[in-house]
Amino acid sequence: MSDFDPGAYAKQAAAAIGLPLHEAHLPGIVMNLGLAAKMAALLQQMPLTPADEAAPVFVAGPRK
Amino acid sequence: MSAVALAAEIRAGRRRAADVVEERLADIAARDGQFNAFTEVTAARARTEAAAVDAKVAAGQDPGPMAGVPVAVKNLFDLEGITTLAGSKIERDSPPATRDAFLVRQMSAAGAVMLGALNMDEYAYGFTTENAHYGACHNPHDLTRVAGGSSGGSAAAVAGGLVPVTLGSDTNGSIRVPSSLCGIWGIKPTYGRLSRHGGYLFAASFDHLGPFARELADLALAYNVLQGEDLEDPAQCWHGMAPVRLEAEIGGLRIAVADDHFTRGGHAEGYAAVAAVARALGATRRVTIPDAALGRAAAFLITMAEGANLHMPDLRTRPDDFDFATRDRFLAGALLPAHWVQQAQRVRAAYRAKVLRLFDDVDVILAPATPFVAPLIGQEMIEVEGQSIPVRPNLGVYTQPISCIGLPVIAAPIADPVGLGTPGGMPIGVQLIGAPWAEEKLFRVAAALEKLGVCAAPPIRT
Repeated sequence: MSDFDPGAYAKQAAAAIGLPLHEAHLPGIVMNLGLAAKMAALLQQMPLTPADEAAPVFVAGPRK
Repeated sequence: MSAVALAAEIRAGRRRAADVVEERLADIAARDGQFNAFTEVTAARARTEAAAVDAKVAAGQDPGPMAGVPVAVKNLFDLEGITTLAGSKIERDSPPATRDAFLVRQMSAAGAVMLGALNMDEYAYGFTTENAHYGACHNPHDLTRVAGGSSGGSAAAVAGGLVPVTLGSDTNGSIRVPSSLCGIWGIKPTYGRLSRHGGYLFAASFDHLGPFARELADLALAYNVLQGEDLEDPAQCWHGMAPVRLEAEIGGLRIAVADDHFTRGGHAEGYAAVAAVARALGATRRVTIPDAALGRAAAFLITMAEGANLHMPDLRTRPDDFDFATRDRFLAGALLPAHWVQQAQRVRAAYRAKVLRLFDDVDVILAPATPFVAPLIGQEMIEVEGQSIPVRPNLGVYTQPISCIGLPVIAAPIADPVGLGTPGGMPIGVQLIGAPWAEEKLFRVAAALEKLGVCAAPPIRT
């Protein structure tokens, strides 16, 4: 994660999802993406197996 | 007067709900300017509801367990005929709600009288209620300090004595943090216990709704009234009614103090509050909530992503209409790599499995609710363990790992913060954490702490 450039990434990712970015907002976005990257790095510490499903469980419909 | 006592007086015909409403409306008009808790006062509605309660009493009908009790709600709850702001400027353009939120309907059916909507952080994304559009909410114990957030108005209105019961929401700590900083009781029930329908969501994976009160008996009354099955909330996991009673019987309960993550990152008063509660309960055992920091990190990322996705149309077209305090977090949240978010949801499930195993040996876990007492309004940084860190995100350091996995928590206020030696005698609370669906045990411990004189809402000294 050390070569992660939040500013460059933000501009490309925003273009990919059609989100206009204003220059004035960029410093705050970069700061928050940097913080998120640290949190994401923490999460890599936990060993997961293919059996570790994601938390939300889709329910097809109410029980009849 | 407590909600329980007030309802008893009104039910017995010794007081009129209409008189209580006029007294509350006058008090709010006179004193809310200090707190900035209310963003809308629903006087006409309150008078109509109070008259209906009085008519029922006069006709010999049951007006309900909250007969004539004045209540108010965080302004993310739908109130029929009023636009639901969720703390934003953007939602002012939305049409008025056509129906009350489910929990509002539950309270109304129980005879409660709705006095209005309360200040909050924009879209619930904050821990201090320093709202750029509606102003900062002031802590009734020291008007220069924050009330906490995001349900700051809900806590300030109760602590300031404007109403005995309010509702708020808690996604990462937004009931527990303001409860602690304002010195009142609050409960974040088990995820899925109470319906969220008609509440403006923030991050659906973690959104909880719940009540605040100055008196523990009032918290129990409100919690019981709020329960009900609602097929319109897809996250509700209905287990049937589970009313609580205030029995201070804790003989068989296994109570432990959280160590590790919950003994770092705060000031002495947070730990002293937990120690005082543990001492009173005779709880000497310590327990480690494994991977709490990872739980917090998972909650952080999922919240960013879900919150941003919810607001994408406005982030695209009118970003400058957001509160600057939330805007850049939402914008960054919209850009998170899918891998980070999916990893967070898998870590969350694995973390939950580890924590649930703790409850084989423990019933209730004690932990600080906030790392310090209420910071000053406008304060950016605070010194913790020799480092200067941002105040606002760190107010949730102890609450976020718990709501991440939906455990029920009562925030219990220390009765004598002056005696505890908190800075300025400011209030502080403790989290009583239980296994899923074990709210009844939390109320038993809370009742014991109240009976022992350790926990209660401290009086305002100013």
